Parts: sequence; C-alpha cells; structure tokens
Amino acid sequence: MKQEEFFTSRLGLILATLGIAVGTGNIWRFSRIVAQNGGGSFLIPWVFFLLFWSLPLIIAEFALGKSTRHSPIGAIAKTAGKKFGWMGAFIAFVSTAIMFYYSVVVGWCIKYLVSAASGDLFSTSNHLEYWNNFSGSSYPIVFHFIAMLIGSIVIFKGIVKGVEKVNKILVSSLLVILVILFIRAVTLPNALEGIKYLFTPKLDLILDYKVWLNALTQNAWDTGAGWGLILTYAIYMKKKEDIALNAALIGFGNNSVSLIAGIIIFSTVFSLSSTDALIQVSQSGPANTGLTFIYLPLLFSNISGSMIFNTIFASLFFLALSFAALTSLISMIELATRTLIDFGIVRNRAILFVGALGFAFGIPSAIDVKFLINQDWVWGVGLILSGAFISFSVIKYGVDRFRTEIINGPGSDIKIGKWYNYLIKYLIPFQAVVLLAWWLISSTAWDPEWWNPFHSENLGTCIVQWFLIITVFIMTNKYLVKYTLDRKS
Amino acid sequence: MKIETIVTAIFVIGIVWGGVSYFLLRAIKFEKSKNSDQE
Repeated sequence: MKQEEFFTSRLGLILATLGIAVGTGNIWRFSRIVAQNGGGSFLIPWVFFLLFWSLPLIIAEFALGKSTRHSPIGAIAKTAGKKFGWMGAFIAFVSTAIMFYYSVVVGWCIKYLVSAASGDLFSTSNHLEYWNNFSGSSYPIVFHFIAMLIGSIVIFKGIVKGVEKVNKILVSSLLVILVILFIRAVTLPNALEGIKYLFTPKLDLILDYKVWLNALTQNAWDTGAGWGLILTYAIYMKKKEDIALNAALIGFGNNSVSLIAGIIIFSTVFSLSSTDALIQVSQSGPANTGLTFIYLPLLFSNISGSMIFNTIFASLFFLALSFAALTSLISMIELATRTLIDFGIVRNRAILFVGALGFAFGIPSAIDVKFLINQDWVWGVGLILSGAFISFSVIKYGVDRFRTEIINGPGSDIKIGKWYNYLIKYLIPFQAVVLLAWWLISSTAWDPEWWNPFHSENLGTCIVQWFLIITVFIMTNKYLVKYTLDRKS
Repeated sequence: MKIETIVTAIFVIGIVWGGVSYFLLRAIKFEKSKNSDQE
C-alpha cells in the first residue's frame, strides 16, 4: 500500500501533533496535581521529566512513524522484530481503550460549553447537584455520541482536509482563548497570591520522592509521549520533514500550555474563593471532575457583577477545554482507524467500524463514572508500559543506528547527540520500571482487597486486564504481524 | 515576594516558555531558508 496523504506544511503537522498532546490533562489534572504536591516543589521535577521522559519518547515516536509508515503493530514489528508485534498491538489497544471513555469526557466538556453559553449553568448555585443530575441522566450518552460523531467525521475527511485543517483551526483558537483567559485571570484582584503559591517551592517536598513520581506521571500522561498517537501522525510526515526540532516544539509547547492553564486556574481560584482556595484546587471529585465541573462554574458566576461577562468567561473556558479534548480524541480515532487500514480495511469502512465500536464501548463509562474510573486507572498505568515498549523497540533496533540513520537522517534540521542513546537505553526503562512499581505497589495500600479484579482502582484489576489483553496479542502475534507487514510490503 | 519564588518562576518559565520560543524561532529560520533555497 502506497502512502498517499501527507501533512501539507510543517505548521499543520506541529499544530496537529500539539493537538494530541494538549488535552484535558493540561487544564484540569495539572492544576490539581500542582496543588496537591506543593506548587513550586512540583514544577521543578516536572520540568526535569519533560527533558528526560517526554522529549526522548516524542522523538522516538516521530522517528518510528516516519521511518516505518506503519501503525504501532507494524512499526514495532519492523523495528524490534516480528516476534514483538504484540507490543505494538498493546500500544494501539491502550490508546483505543482510552478513546472509549475519553469520548465521554469530551461529551462532558461539550455539555458544559452548551450550558455556559446558554446561561443554564448559572441558573443554579448548587453545582454539585447540577453535576450529579447531569451525570446520573442519559445525557452523557447523548454527548458521548456527539463527541464520537464529530471525531469520526474529521477522520472521514482525511489527513489534509480533516486532521490538518481542523487542528489548525481548533489548536490556534485554543491558544488565543487561553491568552485571553490568562490576561483576565492575572488582572483579577488577589491573583498574585495564586501565582505566588504556584511558584513557591517547599524544601521538604522537593526532597519527597512522591512529588517526583507525580511529576513523572504527569509528563507520562499529559504530553502524549508513549501513547502511539504521535507515531500515527508521523506516518503522514513528508520525507524531508525534521524530527528532533518538531518533537522539541511539541514537548515544550505542551508544557507551556499547562503552565498557562495553571496560572489561569490558580489566579482565578485564589482571587475569587471565599473558602480555602488550596482545598478547592486540590479537590478531585469523581473522575477528576471536582475542580472543573463543580467548583469553577461557581467561581465563574462571581467573576464580575455582569452576567453577560460571566457567561463569556465561562463559555471561553469550556470552549478551550472542549477544543483541547476534541483534538486529542481525533488522534485516538485516527490511531484505531490507521491500525485497521494497515490490516487492509479501506479507510471509510475502518472509520465506520471505529466510530460504532467507540460509541458502543464508551456507553458503560457514560452510564457509570465508576467504570470510567476503572478504565482510566487500568489503561492510564498501561501507558507507562506502552512507553517502555517504544523504548524497547528502539533498543532492539540499535539506539545509535536509530539516532544516526533515522532521527538525524534526511530532512533533519538539528542533529541529536549521543546523550540520546543513554536516555532511551537506560533512563527511560529505569523510569518506567520505577513508576510502574510505585503505582502498582501503592494501589495495594489504598484497597484492602488489592487482589480483587472487580474493584475500581487496585493491583488486581490492572494485572487481570493487562494479562488478558497481552495473552491474546501474544497468541495472535504471528497473524497480527503477517496481515500488517505482508499486506503493506 | 520570596526570593525562592522568583528563582523558581524564572527557572520554570525560562526553560518551558524559553524552550518553546527558542525552538519556534529555529523552526521559522529553517523554513525561511528552505523556502529561499527553493526559489
């Protein structure tokens, strides 16, 4: 099968890839985790792991996609060897499993955008009840359907007319909206207190290993590194396109957006909160919803004396959140679609299948937030394994050969030095092992029945679901690789 | 404002926003030179 479509420009590629990285994690998870981990004490290791986890993996993903022109199964099989195609299948499955429930989250964002713009959001002062009424109704299924439909239509239009064009509009608009919100937030009375908290380090917390592991986790989940999504978009890079410089732009660009979102939220909450602002930012709520869907709407209703102004501010915030979430969802749909295309299914049929499957398998998460929390836990931690598999495939290929022939190959604007070899060969696997061990061991402490696979967040449910999926992929590895590689070569 | 707050802000903002600005300028420069080569 000949590669037919390519991103038409570097700007298009960068904005589309930035659309993968920038998601709800930058806006609601980042602020909550910063608040829980001591503000500035968290930001220092967070910058460290941008350099030592996210960037090496983003570079590897760009290089794998561009050089192999395959979705994860073919890319890993071609790089690490045919015996390891199942690792690519695992990477593709994890991102697809995340797509099932992430579409529900996108639906929530769209619902709150509609509510804010129509003024309905301010018709109540009890936002917890408002959220409970919504999440307990059948509306999450309707909005989940709308999210999957929009995402599928974009993918149906193709890479240039769909992914590139839509991301150019949405990501550019998202950045403009964030700048507007940023200016408004930092000019609120008492906003400086929030900014001060955000950047003030506490010595005892800087030395706390949990703060460092949370910073690594935030980078692993939030930058899109190791998900296989960047790898999929890189399939559509032109041969003359650079890898390392584009990867650096995505990594630094993503964390820049997190920092802007953090300043907006900390300034707003510290300025308008009548109770303890820190508790409000830290509160998790079901599936991370506390701050975003329960507390911020309350703050938006008090941001000024003018209802029109409050409505505009809240609408812009939820518009930015919807754009961020939607651009990430689009990339997940493309990954699943591209994987099927590699099996010889034509694009239109593959999209129809992925869209229908995505809607059907997302329904349990739309109905029951506990199910969503379970899936978020199992496949969120699974992403660390995905990152390790990408690192493994580069090591199997030969790190130095990978760096000199592919990363620094045709089209490269900047050359990557030997330091990359050490990062991908030693530091990434080390970080992955430590992070996996920490999360899994920690989960035995917060659930007395840690072995029970039917509980939401524990070791048992993770191991059982991973074991089932990995066993199926190892058993079918021969066929997965055969139908992917043989069809394409 | 405490000195450690200012130092952390400069460190974090300097690396993150400084990094994105630096690489953005380099990308623009490379694109300009590629375009002028083509002409």
